[in-house]
Amino acid sequence: MPRISRAAPETQPAVQAAKRLNRGSAMLAASVLADSAMEHYRGGFYNPAMVTPILTSIAALSTSLHGHNDDRQRRHRQRDRLFGLTAATGIAGIGFHLYNTLKKPGGLSWQNLFYSGPIGAPAAILLSGLFGLLAERVRDTPPGETPRIFGLNAGRVTSLVTSVGLFATSGEAGLLHFRGAFQNPAMFLPVTLPPVAGALMGKATFGNSRKERRFTRFWLRLTALLGIAGSGFHIYGVSRAMGGWHNWRQNMVDGPPIPAPPSFTGLAMAGLAALALLRAHPED
Amino acid sequence: MREYSLDDEVDFLIIGTGAGGGTLAGRLAEMGFSVVALDAGAYFRPLDDFASDETEQEKLYWNDRRIVDGGTPLQMGGKNSGKAVGGSMVHFAMVSLRFRPEWFRSRSVLGYGADWPLDWREMWRYYREAELALAISGPVTYPWGPKRPRYPYRAHEINSAGRLLALGAEALGYQWTETPLATVSAPRGKSPPCVYRGFCRFGCSTNAKQSTLNTWIPRALAAGAEIRDLAMAGRIEVKGDRATGVHFHREGAWHFQRARNVVVAGYAVETPRLLLNSATSRHPHGLANRSGLVGKYFMTQSNQAVFGRMRDEVRWYKGPPSFTITEHWNYDDRKDFFGGYCWMAQGPLPIEWGFIQTGARGLWGEALRQDMLNYNHQVGLKMVGETLPDAANTVTLADEVDQYGLRIPRITFSWGENDRKLIGHAISEMTRSLEAIGAEDIFPQREDANHLAGTARMGFTPEDSVVDADCRSWDIPNLWVCDGSVFPTTGGVNPSLTIQAIALRTADRIKAMAGRGEL
Ligand SMILES: Cc1cc2nc3c(=O)[nH]c(=O)nc-3n(C[C@H](O)[C@H](O)[C@H](O)COP(=O)(O)OP(=O)(O)OC[C@H]3O[C@@H](n4cnc5c(N)ncnc54)[C@H](O)[C@@H]3O)c2cc1C
Ligand code: SF4
Repeated sequence: MPRISRAAPETQPAVQAAKRLNRGSAMLAASVLADSAMEHYRGGFYNPAMVTPILTSIAALSTSLHGHNDDRQRRHRQRDRLFGLTAATGIAGIGFHLYNTLKKPGGLSWQNLFYSGPIGAPAAILLSGLFGLLAERVRDTPPGETPRIFGLNAGRVTSLVTSVGLFATSGEAGLLHFRGAFQNPAMFLPVTLPPVAGALMGKATFGNSRKERRFTRFWLRLTALLGIAGSGFHIYGVSRAMGGWHNWRQNMVDGPPIPAPPSFTGLAMAGLAALALLRAHPED
Repeated sequence: MREYSLDDEVDFLIIGTGAGGGTLAGRLAEMGFSVVALDAGAYFRPLDDFASDETEQEKLYWNDRRIVDGGTPLQMGGKNSGKAVGGSMVHFAMVSLRFRPEWFRSRSVLGYGADWPLDWREMWRYYREAELALAISGPVTYPWGPKRPRYPYRAHEINSAGRLLALGAEALGYQWTETPLATVSAPRGKSPPCVYRGFCRFGCSTNAKQSTLNTWIPRALAAGAEIRDLAMAGRIEVKGDRATGVHFHREGAWHFQRARNVVVAGYAVETPRLLLNSATSRHPHGLANRSGLVGKYFMTQSNQAVFGRMRDEVRWYKGPPSFTITEHWNYDDRKDFFGGYCWMAQGPLPIEWGFIQTGARGLWGEALRQDMLNYNHQVGLKMVGETLPDAANTVTLADEVDQYGLRIPRITFSWGENDRKLIGHAISEMTRSLEAIGAEDIFPQREDANHLAGTARMGFTPEDSVVDADCRSWDIPNLWVCDGSVFPTTGGVNPSLTIQAIALRTADRIKAMAGRGEL
């Protein structure tokens, strides 16, 4: 087949999938941006390194949006580098938070896990960067060929990253909701719905790539909705703190984090992109 | 609120609505008994009536006249007695601990004090019930004693003062943990989570604190009990060997409420005082006092401390004062004295700190002013220690009368030799802990005491005690005592959870006895 350099976007599944991945990573970046800005403001930027996640997530957000507006079927070097940097910052952040957790008296204890810098936030930055990197590689596929990453089917790789991301994020929500003693039954939702989505994505990763996976797509949409609803629950949660919304300046920072749950939405969007890729480029 | 008339012969008339009386009122009402609970104090609403102000909140204390004497006269008032619906728990420090099981058998297992007529395994169940009712925020696993279920709410984030206790304990090789506290770490009903402002011992204007006032009392009301505040009981009326009701003072006059059963729950000073003040010709030494033990074996707990100063800021006033604890010396018996103690992190507010600086340290004038500037760098550890029961420590009646014309209590107390040894041990251990974290200008607060107990002890026979295991008096079968005064020994932890557990057990026992027609 002759190579077409600039195909119409609608007809290029690879570019479409990449753009979807960009939207997912933008969602994750936005969630991290708002969340880490609030949390690190609460921490008074005690350590100058605490501005890093803010700058990084701004970069990841704008880079993802740039990717979303780009119909070209080529990897964009600058974007690719920025996504790489984002992922690296995520890894460094995980290291930082782990180190800070373990050096406190008690070491690896519930107290320190509950109240130290969460692992989940830098992990979300890492995911945002990873989805960006995947997007660039998917995009860089000649028409008619199957997008591949390190020689593996890109749909499967993306499914796997989504699956792991869903489990990890659910673990983080589980830890923090355990800290809150699951005082509201709704607090069980993020530890039940996303792991199911994670398991389904695991099945998609290793299973038959020709399958329709209607149920998985339905469940991913449900998880995406949960991410948005979660913010609503957290808005209600803030109202239950001393002084409620009248005291928003304090309670927004001390109460449940309103911008955190949409990470699930970002992950679900990436999961849908992965399924679309798999369907467009099945293999046995 | 349901109200009863004075002529209604209510099933239970409870005097005092604190840890003992409030809890019992809640459970008995829920079991379907008609209940009226009197309290000499006012019914406050935390969100409207409480201020974050040390002085304003003195309205919560029992500051009526009392005479103190003995070798080491106790300072009475805010430190150990409350006067409000909800009792002393309205301004308690929220530390909610279980006894070490062996303490229920102090005499036969550990060789001192007296045995309790209660089995620790049964108490373990009631502790759980109390912890659930107060949604105690505690560690996921508790390092000492037999396994206990997970606390209903998670432990709070500890403050610097709590962290410094942890570092000291780790340096000494002792275990430490987050203190189980009766203030919520997540929303609960009308209680928002704790905001860490540190006014816990002055009421909690946030309503995060879970005390009798916002747990058991609302349950009592919902189940149809009447809470009659600003009602001071002056005398229990007895015909022959049965109580018939209580004379109480309210709105400037004396009234008489009829009742089938009377429960005294005024705590370790007011309970014996009321029993003694109710003497008749048939009970000339006071009610329930055939054994002569009413007012005897009065106990407090040692509450000495060690303070020091850190180079870095600590800001110990942030949050509940006792974030972390080590119960090491409650469970380690390698010591040359009886009894145990724990210590906890501290965070006295400025006025209280001023008292410690002038009292324990003797600072005054410019030196005091200068040292108060170190407030944000100060760190401290405070013990809660066991005092041995001693028949010479008593609550008796003085000849003087109070504003109601009732004879006031005389409280006679001296530390015993064993108590002194225990306190000395604790002070040197706490000093070591502060030294280990590099604190400077370390000094001990050698005199301080807090929780009360004893004076109407429970036991096995009418000769060795005032009430039986069910808190029922041996002499007058429809007269009960259900509060901290029934403790035969105090143990080395704060008492309120144990008082509630006893009240919960008493309620269950009453229900069982009522079912068998034994009331
Ligand atoms: C400052 C402070 C901090 C404390 N911190 C802790 C802690 O952290 N953990 C812990 O476990 N314990 C703590 N305690 C102790 C705990 O609060 C008491 O042990 C417990 O409340 C005693 O319960 P009670 O039912 O025996 O008496 P109280 O709770 O004192 O209740 C007695 C009630 O009876 C009323 N009363 C008395 N006489 C009469 C009468 N004649 N007529 C009408 N009403 C009467 C009083 O007004 C009072 O409300 C603290 C106490 C204080 C004062
Ligand atoms: S620190 Fe918490 S429990 Fe104490 S007074 Fe403040 S809100 Fe209440």
